[in-house]
Amino acid sequence: MKLSDEDRLILDGVRLEVPKGQVHAIMGPNGSGKSTLAYVLSGRDGYQVTEGSIHWNGEDLLAMEPDARAAKGVFLAFQYPMEIPGVATMTFLRTAVNAVRKQRGEKEFTTPEFLKRARAEAARLGMAEDMLKRPLNVGFSGGEKKRMEILQMAMLEPTLCVMDETDSGLDIDAVRVVSEGVNRLRSKDRAMLIITHYQRLLNYIIPDRVHVMAGGKIQKSGNKELALELEKSGYAEFRSRAA
Amino acid sequence: MTVAITRTKAEQGLSQTFEAVAPRLPGGPAVAAARRSAIGAFAALGLPHRRLEAWKYTDLRSALKVALPAAVADERSLATPAQLETALEGLAGLDAYRLVFVDGVYAPELSQAAALGGLTFTPLAARLLNGEAELGNELLAGSQREAVIALNTAFMSDGAVIDVAAGRALTKPVLLVFLRTAGEAHLITTRNHINIGAGARATLIEAHLRLPAAAAGQSNALSELRLGEGAQLSHIKVTLGGEGESHVSTGLARLGAGASYRAFQLTAATGLVRNGVGLTFDGEGGAADVSGCFLGRGSEHIDSTLVIDHAVAGCESRELFKGVLTDKARGVFQGKVIVRPDAQKTDGKQMAQVLMLSEDAEFDSKPELEINADDVVCGHGSTSAEIDKDLLFYFRARGIAAEEARALLIESFIGEAIDKVEEAVRPALMAMARDRLAALTS
Repeated sequence: MKLSDEDRLILDGVRLEVPKGQVHAIMGPNGSGKSTLAYVLSGRDGYQVTEGSIHWNGEDLLAMEPDARAAKGVFLAFQYPMEIPGVATMTFLRTAVNAVRKQRGEKEFTTPEFLKRARAEAARLGMAEDMLKRPLNVGFSGGEKKRMEILQMAMLEPTLCVMDETDSGLDIDAVRVVSEGVNRLRSKDRAMLIITHYQRLLNYIIPDRVHVMAGGKIQKSGNKELALELEKSGYAEFRSRAA
Repeated sequence: MTVAITRTKAEQGLSQTFEAVAPRLPGGPAVAAARRSAIGAFAALGLPHRRLEAWKYTDLRSALKVALPAAVADERSLATPAQLETALEGLAGLDAYRLVFVDGVYAPELSQAAALGGLTFTPLAARLLNGEAELGNELLAGSQREAVIALNTAFMSDGAVIDVAAGRALTKPVLLVFLRTAGEAHLITTRNHINIGAGARATLIEAHLRLPAAAAGQSNALSELRLGEGAQLSHIKVTLGGEGESHVSTGLARLGAGASYRAFQLTAATGLVRNGVGLTFDGEGGAADVSGCFLGRGSEHIDSTLVIDHAVAGCESRELFKGVLTDKARGVFQGKVIVRPDAQKTDGKQMAQVLMLSEDAEFDSKPELEINADDVVCGHGSTSAEIDKDLLFYFRARGIAAEEARALLIESFIGEAIDKVEEAVRPALMAMARDRLAALTS
């Protein structure tokens, strides 16, 4: 796949396959195109895919609007989750969950059903129930925002989870809680793509494959040991290769 | 040399209407004299126009084309309880002391005056008829200076005179309903005098509504509010006047030391609205929050103009207005904060934010600070923007369709302002706003 925004080429021939049941990590220096890849998978506008295609479960994602992709199982955990003053977290969650359930041809949750699930999931992530009543992400700490992303991921039951720098801004305890949340969601029916700058997160979420991205291309792929090598040697080699 | 200003048809018409209706307006000789003096002042002033700074964006001289016959008590039409319930929408279910005015005249059959707890209520017309002086010097002076106050004094037909005794805390809100019902277009002029005694607490909701079958008209509403030392008043004004309606309101509040006044205006689905608020801190340590939410579509025009006068030290004022405008609707915000030389330790903030859903909508924002003291914290801000694309994407990435996402985002935008309203009333206001938003975005 190749992709540009306005006139700048950002992704220059990315070829990536993530089978269900596997967790793949994408690592790379700043500006390598990692976040752009996450956005283009989830359908953010402002980019033009000039070549190639994205398929998930045999369906052409590029032909779909972001909300349709979400219904087809694509979930993006944002690097910077948005603050939405005036919309209670619970309202947002219920609207989202019922919107995807409806599109998937599943029965919408009644309020009590929904509340029970949301509370149980929040408890698993160590979130106070009170947070669900507050406006979404408003006044949440960095760690709370990321937990909220994982909570949404759990509630929306996606089949392809794309996590963009989920560990950024988190202290070590928060990384552990968030990682446990992610690990609980690992399943044979679900693929995960973890985008990260540092190897740290991969100590907690052990990937099946690691890809190094630089200059809008996958430069190298390997098993989990590749992440450790990168931690030692840095991205210098790939930066020069991409230049 | 004498220069006569040419009066518009509406201006001439208002003076003529007064002559026709004066004998039927309530009040003894002193009130009649005050009315006559006020209409005389109006004849000299004319309708406010754009060359007056406070009316720069709302030129009533060109907006009001005709003078309508004034509504009077002996022609009062009737509304059924069912019609009232429907018109009240979300407010119908609110547990409140209800006082209803139909076409500008008190309607005891729809009100619950007998069941009021902790307050006294008299219809203004009764007070005027009994010859009691309901016209304070301040209002008489205002009637000479301000055309809309002059017109209110000249034409006022009724309203609520409410006293909450010192130390009393009302357990239920007072709901004042001003309902337009007549099939003919009228000028409805009402005035309220609200007096909250020292240390007393009350919530007042003022709803200006119209039955679906009623003709659009003009209304001039004035509320004079006095808060004693340490008194607390929450004052919510809902204006849903309907298409073609012109609604001009004036709120004049004076706060004693340590008093707290929280005002909120919800304005939507009304042809032309001017919500003027003049607030003065008379004693130190007072706090005021005057906020609102306005929704405009078509060629609607909604003006919120505030003058907050920090006459004494150590008071706090907040203003937050949020608007959503589409089509060719126009919003106006003028928020003036005056800090007098002695008003040290003043804390004043004003903010106006508008979401523009069309390119033809217009928002004129003029936050103003007039600071004459040096130890103060004052700030103002104003934004107008389209719906945030990043926020929209966040919703859509969660599976929420664009249209629903947009509606939720707009709701969240105005929700920030509506959140200022006390919890018991908030859902009703949100439901009313949500209904009008649907009309804006469809």
